Amino acid sequence: MIAGGCLCGAVRYEANAEPLTMRACWCRFCQHIAAGNAAIGLAFPRKAMTITGELRDYATVADSGSHMHRRFCPSCGVHLFSEAEERLHLIFVRAGTLDDPSIVRPSVVIWTAQAPKWAKIDPDCVRFEGQPPPIA
Amino acid sequence: MIEGGCLCGAVRYKANAEPLVVRACWCRLCQYIAAGNATINLAFPSEAVTITGELSDYESMAESGRHMHRRFCPACGVHLFSEAEERPHLIIIRAGTLDDPSIAVPSGNIWTSKAPEWACIDPHLPQFEGQPPPVGTSQK
Repeated sequence: MIAGGCLCGAVRYEANAEPLTMRACWCRFCQHIAAGNAAIGLAFPRKAMTITGELRDYATVADSGSHMHRRFCPSCGVHLFSEAEERLHLIFVRAGTLDDPSIVRPSVVIWTAQAPKWAKIDPDCVRFEGQPPPIA
Repeated sequence: MIEGGCLCGAVRYKANAEPLVVRACWCRLCQYIAAGNATINLAFPSEAVTITGELSDYESMAESGRHMHRRFCPACGVHLFSEAEERPHLIIIRAGTLDDPSIAVPSGNIWTSKAPEWACIDPHLPQFEGQPPPVGTSQK
């Protein structure tokens, strides 16, 4: 079981599956959510995820054209989840919210075209300049 | 003039000074705010920064012992600022909120003892395992 939550503890989650992928995203949107860095996201099957607590939804259309719902805790402002209406079978979890972030090992870096010049990108990761092909 | 704001545009700011320092912070709290990564932070003199729009405040005691106020936009959840009660002459701005993040070239990494194994840390930059010495001490 993989568990996590926000900083203040108002939101908690459990996933009873292994992550389908772990990737770092440098899109300009993610830089806002990740305090200037790439956001580290883990994809899970949506049906494997149980969430408790109130979430606020920031809804947008992504650069990829997907209709996104980025959900955060209204009390501490920590972003926990991202879901696309076009892929309702998946949910992305922000790696910083895991109780044990040591399980994370990003293997893919996406939207590198939007990374700042000073970005440090792991040379062992697979790179995509923009949106990668769907994972599932 | 350095400008920025949150994702939804409800919060905007302007700084009429150069940043005192730009650093990446790997403390565990910052990993929550930075989606698992290090936060990239710019320190400015508080008097140089003008802010418009409503902010929510997440208060906590930092590992350094300071009383912190991390401020975020209640509409889009983007963290923009961090302030310590013990150091009211400084305000920290999260680099992702800059209109031009290319100016936020980090000069060092702090709290590297909390960084995950996969962290990609520039070996040419200074590193602090924990809290570094204060910036802007002369203004205290």
